[in-house]
Amino acid sequence: MEFDTGRSPAIQITPRQRWSIAITYIVIVCGFALGVNQRDSALNQSSRYSNLEAGIAALYPARWFLEESGSYVFRVRDMAHLGFKTVIEVSTSPVGPDTTERNILDQLSLRRAQVLTDYTVLGYDTYRLADDSAAATMSYSYVSRDTSPFLEGVSSIVNAMDILTIRRGQALIISFRADKSVYQAELETLRWFVQNLEF
Amino acid sequence: MNHLRQSAIIFFLLPCLVFAQGSAGIDIDRIKRATVFIYFAKSVNNDLIVKCVSSGTLISADGLIVTNAHSVLHSRQCDGDQIIVSLNVDLSEQPIPKYRAEVFNADAGLDVAVLRIARELDGRLIAAGELPILPFVEVGSSSEVSIDDNLIFSGYPDFGNGPVATKRGTVTAFIAEPIGRGPAWFKTRAEIPGTMSGGGAYSSAGRLIGIPTNAPLGGLVASASCRFIADTNDDGLVNSSDVCVPTGEFISTVRPIDHSLSLIRGARHNLKVDIVSSPIDVARPLNPPQASRFLFAPSVADGTPSTVVGSMPNNTKSLYLFFDYDNMTADTVYELRVTRDGIPETTFSLPPVRWSGGESGLWYIGSREQSWANGAYEFTLLVNGTSVGSQRIIVGGAAENRPQFSDIVFGTLDQSGALVGNGSILPLGDIASARFLFANMRDGLQWSAIWYYRSVEVARTADVWSDGSRGAKVIRVAPNGGLLPGQYRMELYIEGALSATSDFIVAGRQAGPLPEIFGNIRHTAAGSLSAARLAPVSSTFPSAIPALYAQFDWRQIAAGTPWTLRWLVDDQIFFQSTNPWLTVESGSDFTVTLPDPPDGSYKLQLLVNNLKLAEQEAVVGIGQLPIDRLAQYEGAILSGKVIDAAARRGIPSVTIVLISEVYAASEFEWREDQVFALATTDRNGNFQFARPLAFDTFYSIVIEADGYIPHAADRFRFTIDEPYADIEIVMVRG
Repeated sequence: MEFDTGRSPAIQITPRQRWSIAITYIVIVCGFALGVNQRDSALNQSSRYSNLEAGIAALYPARWFLEESGSYVFRVRDMAHLGFKTVIEVSTSPVGPDTTERNILDQLSLRRAQVLTDYTVLGYDTYRLADDSAAATMSYSYVSRDTSPFLEGVSSIVNAMDILTIRRGQALIISFRADKSVYQAELETLRWFVQNLEF
Repeated sequence: MNHLRQSAIIFFLLPCLVFAQGSAGIDIDRIKRATVFIYFAKSVNNDLIVKCVSSGTLISADGLIVTNAHSVLHSRQCDGDQIIVSLNVDLSEQPIPKYRAEVFNADAGLDVAVLRIARELDGRLIAAGELPILPFVEVGSSSEVSIDDNLIFSGYPDFGNGPVATKRGTVTAFIAEPIGRGPAWFKTRAEIPGTMSGGGAYSSAGRLIGIPTNAPLGGLVASASCRFIADTNDDGLVNSSDVCVPTGEFISTVRPIDHSLSLIRGARHNLKVDIVSSPIDVARPLNPPQASRFLFAPSVADGTPSTVVGSMPNNTKSLYLFFDYDNMTADTVYELRVTRDGIPETTFSLPPVRWSGGESGLWYIGSREQSWANGAYEFTLLVNGTSVGSQRIIVGGAAENRPQFSDIVFGTLDQSGALVGNGSILPLGDIASARFLFANMRDGLQWSAIWYYRSVEVARTADVWSDGSRGAKVIRVAPNGGLLPGQYRMELYIEGALSATSDFIVAGRQAGPLPEIFGNIRHTAAGSLSAARLAPVSSTFPSAIPALYAQFDWRQIAAGTPWTLRWLVDDQIFFQSTNPWLTVESGSDFTVTLPDPPDGSYKLQLLVNNLKLAEQEAVVGIGQLPIDRLAQYEGAILSGKVIDAAARRGIPSVTIVLISEVYAASEFEWREDQVFALATTDRNGNFQFARPLAFDTFYSIVIEADGYIPHAADRFRFTIDEPYADIEIVMVRG
């Protein structure tokens, strides 16, 4: 028995078909790029906050929750985050001629030790602000459980940092707090926030 | 907002309507949720030893609790220093200790305390605004209660070993005492265990109208009402050598809430009055409490017996036992046992309760508009478990037309010979006059009047009656040296038997119908007492002053004279204190402070014998109290679970945003002012909005969680028939 082997004749596509395939690929790539762009623009959108009375203006990540009714000028929280909600809080405090940055940080520590579980100061450092001036920082940690007393709450270890600078007779305190697991990653958001903060 | 619109909206609202038990207008679940269990414990070597227990009721979303004072104020019996509050996390299970509280306001005599949750269980302070919104009940008025009304009682029937319980019972009697308007006690036959003392009594409308109250005598001795639950002497055993925790017997008395409203109001607005002027130290020996001069009267006139009776006729509806008392304190426990023909008469008996009448004076216990069956009644008064006196009276038979005096009022005579004045306070002078009514008198009867000053006889008249059968008579007394400041008493006798008696006070100088005792009330705002004395006097002040000071002068008021200091804000009393006058007879700059007053119209009133003698108003800020947006009581409780669509497991730490009724989900821009409430899921994915949702109001919900497609739901609402809703929200990864 013999078998006749051989190649089938090559299928020739027409130029028109070639163009169709190319356009299809181009559309897919463009669609993907557009989707990525849309997603990124949604994720990287920012909102603007300004408070003329306090002389503070800032950009903050869009879709973060803005609050102004507490003992701060304003704060924004990432409510979509599962776990402790990353928060950036801006507050002011009057200072006297003899008040030092360390005085204020210590005062914050004394107050927080009364209300935060396992509050621990991790260290002090400096932080370079947008105008290249140096601000004092204090890093600390505590345990947070943010839920109703009638439910089984989830505890989080929170890492945090205060950035403090004294300007025009008042102290400006930027407090940044995030779950320990995302703290390092979220520091980039803090840097972006500080770079865009006007006061 | 495009993001929201583009997202797939997959929102499952599955309302599982859970109706309250016995849904005749009463939300039992809400009442139970607001009922707390309270430990009063003492710190000993880093340990907490329970000294007293009680139930309590949350009356505000920010952690105000009303309960009995005897179980949270430091005393020999309850020498604790920490108040632990256990919340009702699961209605079918035991309460769980969650917080520590502090006494904000208390009246040991009324046996009412208002606590404020101030710390976490581990002792950390709760920062302002950080306490989650707690379930609470609406405070009603005890004036809406009538005899035979059905009440519901809420509390913990055991030492925190069981879930919250409710009992039902009817109001069987009103007991009257001289502590303000309305009944001093409601009596009930409901079987309320002693540990439910301090809990809540609710009207048929579901409003808090009273506090079940007892005053256990146990604490140092073993009894059924005192339990040994801990090794307090550290001998490794829990036995009768340890200190037991008193619980009291079954409760049959309810303190009407109206007597507590000023305490509650003060706590709600964070108003705490400080009497700066220190009294003269009047150290007195601690003599044992005593009671004397027991007598009966059919009615009360300005706190005194209208007349004195030895028997009452058929169909008696009103009867009061009067007695003098001395050396009593707010820690004193008294009890009235009433028997009829030798059989205990529980309706009119008063079980052991705290004393609310101050150190000494004239007291009464009785009731009106209730039928007294015919029989021989015996009233026995016990103080701290020991009988201090008793008195018998016969009820029954036809009404006797016996001679009697009644309704004594005091005053001074004007030029026309008419009695003028207010009836019970006279200015200093030479002569005091009294007018009384007489009935069924016969000419020729012997009668007499005896006047006392500070319990010492100062004048006596005895005569033969010659003024006819019925009418009014005026007599007067002119003691040697004139009328001195202090308390006076007059007794009227017919044929040697006491027929009427009444007391009056002499103080101040003549100035119209009311004597001038207090005057020159002025207000200042300052940060300290020394600054207040130099600050300008004003009647209007800006907002956020450090303290409002009130100062006044006084004249000719004797030490020991009972007087009342009352503060009102927006015409509602938030502080009232009646005490003996304890400083010099005349002087100036008596100072009272009100720290950190919020905006409002404040009025200081000074009273003697319930007669307002002076008042002055001061306006702070806009002159009106701020509105508490969390004070809303009615509404639906929304709870539920957020689950992962694929894993079918709860998602922890998801925040659910409930948008206020004026915005749709598509209009939400993540601003605080657009939000009605927030809730975060627990480790099982469960959540609950503590703030009730208004009925028939449209709300929206937005949920965004990292790794999941955002959800939104618009325009859902609850009706009054749906007080609870349990929803399931399914999140799809994306």
